Amino acid sequence: MRYRWVMDNEDVALRNVTYRQFVDLGHAPTVHDIAAATGATPDAVWSGWQRLHDEHALVLQSHTREIRMANPFSAVPTAYRVSADDRWWYANCAWDAFGVCAALHVDGRIETSCADCGEPLTVHVRDERPDDEGLLFHCVVPAVRWWDDIVFT
Amino acid sequence: MNLFRSEEHLGRWLGSRAPGATISVTELCELAHAWWGNRLDPNWRPRSREQNQAILNDLGLTDAFWNLSANSTTPNLA
Repeated sequence: MRYRWVMDNEDVALRNVTYRQFVDLGHAPTVHDIAAATGATPDAVWSGWQRLHDEHALVLQSHTREIRMANPFSAVPTAYRVSADDRWWYANCAWDAFGVCAALHVDGRIETSCADCGEPLTVHVRDERPDDEGLLFHCVVPAVRWWDDIVFT
Repeated sequence: MNLFRSEEHLGRWLGSRAPGATISVTELCELAHAWWGNRLDPNWRPRSREQNQAILNDLGLTDAFWNLSANSTTPNLA
């Protein structure tokens, strides 16, 4: 069976205003933030976010009406902190940490730790390149299964 | 999706785990910019799986580990 594209223009617009608000606020917007920005009702925003979650355009918390991920940004604290554009951000993983600089189109500083020894790692990204080229990135989950459990991935 | 100081640290962390895929942090940075660079474009549109696969392919990530499509019926918009 082939994937059938279902994200309509209204949901794309909701997604785009949600991402813009995330960056403008420096943290995940609430349904009320987006309702105020768009004139939609909070319930309509929530329904749209659920569709975007199903389309892998957002990741929602499982038990609250809140955003967990607006990839590459994380709405919750993680082991990947990024200083970029005069703010600190949390990223969902090492890939997303570089993605924060990429999405914002700025240089940045990534702070995390070696997954083996726990020693702090700091990587500066300048002109889209890391300043420490000796580090390694490892991904355990094959690409086809990334969305089986995106939080684990 | 983790970072490691070196092959030695990665090998120790993997232990008896089945290894996935390893790339340098330089390749990761290139991948991140190709993948996430449009995320805040005001006219962002979702990419198709084929478009995402092309990003991986263009960076040389062409082995089975990086194949987005096998028998999946849901999008990979990551």
